[in-house]
Amino acid sequence: MAVDTTGTVDQGGLADTSAVTPPRRTTEGFGPLRRALRYIAMPLFLLVVVVGLYLWVTGQELGQVEQRQLNAPFITSKVVEHIRASTLSTILVILVAVPLGILATRPSLRRLAPLIIGFGNFGQAIPSLGLLTLIFLFARTVDWLPTTGIVPVVLALTAYSALPILRNTMVGLQQVDPSLLLAGRGMGLSNTDVLRKIEMPLAVPVILAGVRTALIINVGTATLVFLYGGGGLGELIFQGFQLRRTTILMTGAVLTAALALLVDYLAGLVEELLTPKGL
Amino acid sequence: MRYRAKTLLALFALLSLLAAACGGESLESGGDTAAEETADAGATEAAEGTEGGDEGGAASLEGAEIVVGSKDFDEQLILGNISKIALENAGATVVDQINLGGTDAARAALLNGDIDTYWEYNGTAWISFMENDDPIADPVEQYEAVRDAELENEQVHWLAPAQFNNTYGLAYLTSAADELGNPETLSDLADIIAENPELATLCVESEFPARNDGLPGLEALYGYEFPDENVTVLDTGVVYTATADRDPCNFGEVFTTDGRVAALELTVLEDDQSFFPLYNPSPVFTDEVFQQYGPALEELFAPISEALTQDVMTQLNARVSADGERPEEVAQDFLETNGLLDG
Repeated sequence: MAVDTTGTVDQGGLADTSAVTPPRRTTEGFGPLRRALRYIAMPLFLLVVVVGLYLWVTGQELGQVEQRQLNAPFITSKVVEHIRASTLSTILVILVAVPLGILATRPSLRRLAPLIIGFGNFGQAIPSLGLLTLIFLFARTVDWLPTTGIVPVVLALTAYSALPILRNTMVGLQQVDPSLLLAGRGMGLSNTDVLRKIEMPLAVPVILAGVRTALIINVGTATLVFLYGGGGLGELIFQGFQLRRTTILMTGAVLTAALALLVDYLAGLVEELLTPKGL
Repeated sequence: MRYRAKTLLALFALLSLLAAACGGESLESGGDTAAEETADAGATEAAEGTEGGDEGGAASLEGAEIVVGSKDFDEQLILGNISKIALENAGATVVDQINLGGTDAARAALLNGDIDTYWEYNGTAWISFMENDDPIADPVEQYEAVRDAELENEQVHWLAPAQFNNTYGLAYLTSAADELGNPETLSDLADIIAENPELATLCVESEFPARNDGLPGLEALYGYEFPDENVTVLDTGVVYTATADRDPCNFGEVFTTDGRVAALELTVLEDDQSFFPLYNPSPVFTDEVFQQYGPALEELFAPISEALTQDVMTQLNARVSADGERPEEVAQDFLETNGLLDG
């Protein structure tokens, strides 16, 4: 059937694979539209989800409890707290894990690699709730760390999400063709220059993929930080769960999922922008 | 072709299986109604039987098989074990499902028939299950409203409630009393908020700022408001620690019978305008078990609920939370010292 009739069916088949194959294959004029669609599909989808949630919530008969929680100022403050906790921890984890990953791949320090990877494994192996609790218990014994609030929860999220960035930094650097490094040295570049001009640019796509993973982990795990005074959308989820108010629970859960997808989408854009041309 | 033939064969086999299953089901459902009828008849007989037994004077649960559940905090573990030991003592065979999880888990297990009984607080049923916004102030009316609605809506039976009331309270570290101006009642907080707002810091669990019988209602009735930036939402357990550490807050939302109140040397402010709802727990039974053994169960649990006063329950909780005794031992000890295992 599909072989005999030309036209629509064949084109459909081609269009399906064109996302994978270079855009050269598609007809002109079709490419830009398709590309635009690719960029706009996710925001559109999220808009539909959030508007749908809004319509569903406003369509319900809301009791006093729901009205107290499901209003713009309260939800906005929870979203802001959620974004604050997840972005701060992602920035911090980049600052810690990327240098550690670079260190672990230097020939002189290669012996430290298992130790450094061990740190990342340790953070991820402990359940996120346990990590929050450990940091709380630790903070009670020292003066310099507050027991509750944004500081300890960001530390916990950082430790929890270190592994993907750490590992991807190491893998990204290790997969660079050694002959390129030799060529660089042969051209008279110092070790630092080789790292800066050859290794890092080639490793960036892999590192960014790790950052993206860490970001998603942090958005998800940040639903727990309200337990230690970090606020966030987890508060809505728990309130809904404890008080059996499904509307509140759904609002918290759907907004968290939408936030995670949005963050992933934005990180994807950044990834595309920062990846050196020609890779 | 061979493939197609095989597929067809398989499809046919599947269809005939389905048909057989459907037929079986309709047969079974026919059987079910018959079984139900006999079961109903049996239940009436059994009920008459126990009534006959009552005339003889002893509340016997001989031959009864009862699954006892509970939620997952210390007070519930003690109450669950009290039920278990008392029922066993009265001759029932008990299956132990104590420590099921949170309120939702225990409630779902009861409604599904996975457990036959657990202790539930009337305030929880009124506000969480039935989604009422405002509590009833009178203890008897509150209990009766819950009992009647639960029997009608879910066919579960609430026995007479225990004396103690595990409701909310605001507490502070006793040794900080002087610094905080020696507050004794919730009304006294008005002065602190007006004169030293930086001292009026409050730690609460996540649901407390959302519920009518929580912070909003309290502030409305007592006529003051904690500054927004002074209120910190924390995990329920962390609230006690944070209040005892006075970091980040001087006042914490606690449960009035919790063992940690005494253990961490906290003082609960008196609710002088009777704002907080009543949370008196009752043993709650499924219809199936209650139909068979109702009178015997009522007779068994009435003196237990009577003996569970505020002081007694607080002490029992402290023995588990603070002294590390096992809930089983504490429950056994309570029943023995009150002579509740004699009959």
